[in-house]
Amino acid sequence: MSTERNSGGAAAVVVATVIGIGLMMGGMYVSLNVHLGFVEAMNKSGIPFDPGKTVSMMGVLLILFPVIRIFFIAPLAAAIGGRTSELERTFAEAEELRGEMTKMRSEYEHRLVQTEADARERIQAEIKKAQELGQALRAEAASHADELRRKAEREIEAEKNRVLTELRLHVVNLSLGATEKLLGENMDSATNRKLVQDFVDKAGAAR
Amino acid sequence: MQDRRVARRYAAALFATALRYDVVKSVEEDLAGIVGLLSHDKGFRGFLLSPYVGREEKLKIAEKLFSDRVTALTMQALRLMLEKRREGEVEALREEFVTLRRRHDGVIFATVSSAEALDKDQQKQVVAKVGLITGKAIEPHFLVDPRLIGGVKVAFENIVLDGTLRGSLNLLGDRLRHDVLMQT
Repeated sequence: MSTERNSGGAAAVVVATVIGIGLMMGGMYVSLNVHLGFVEAMNKSGIPFDPGKTVSMMGVLLILFPVIRIFFIAPLAAAIGGRTSELERTFAEAEELRGEMTKMRSEYEHRLVQTEADARERIQAEIKKAQELGQALRAEAASHADELRRKAEREIEAEKNRVLTELRLHVVNLSLGATEKLLGENMDSATNRKLVQDFVDKAGAAR
Repeated sequence: MQDRRVARRYAAALFATALRYDVVKSVEEDLAGIVGLLSHDKGFRGFLLSPYVGREEKLKIAEKLFSDRVTALTMQALRLMLEKRREGEVEALREEFVTLRRRHDGVIFATVSSAEALDKDQQKQVVAKVGLITGKAIEPHFLVDPRLIGGVKVAFENIVLDGTLRGSLNLLGDRLRHDVLMQT
């Protein structure tokens, strides 16, 4: 389609150029060779008018317009078209990016919500676990404290019994020591002889 | 460390020989002398029991010391023990020899301890009493131990007849301690 348009355009340019050349040549000829009455009247009245030059100028313009269109307007239109398509492409990309961003944002928000929900769930689970652990530790500590208290009570009781026993044994030892001292002080040969005699009399009786 | 089994074998052989030649008492006295020297003379003990002194040297010194003081049988036994490196068993040999002699004679060795020394009459009474109890002759060994406070104690074989105040006090103390411990 563009080729047809270009070939149509080229034909119009050729036609316009041919007409323009014709008008230019014709106008020049008229300007140099034809002297019209009303033109001279207008010149005399101070109005400079030359129809040949005017026609020639129109031919020049007919040639000039395609040239301008080919070498100036067409590249400018092409540049504007390229720029327009570039802008459209950029806008399309921007739009696409915006769509992607929207999608990503949506996904991010969804993930954020999911993450928050997971985090809340985990926090709740950890809180529950910590509470259970705390309860277990409190129960264990209470049990341990009870055991320590019972142990301390047992140790106190045992220590009391030990001290009492030691005291009693000490009393026994003191009594024995005092008895031994008394016996030693009251022992003499006669008593000793009597003890030996008692041994001789009674030894082996139980056997 | 003394090996009782070895000492017992040597003692059995020595006792049998001494019995055959009727020199049991002499041999026992010889052994008592040698053991007494070992107990009281540290120099002699160190020399005889030292592993660094040679066998020949020990034999030479033993010959010099005992050959004219002990019976030939004792000297022979001592020489044999030195040759066999059994000098460490001499004391055990003496104990086992005495045990064999007592067993042969049907005699029981008894240690009689008292706070004061017993007179002869008391010693006889105690020995007679123990002999009556055991039904055997008694070979007494009298000791004086003031810690016994009063009375007398006789120990023989694995039996102790305690008639001392120390024994009574110990018994009383044991009973009292037992009662105290049972209360707790």
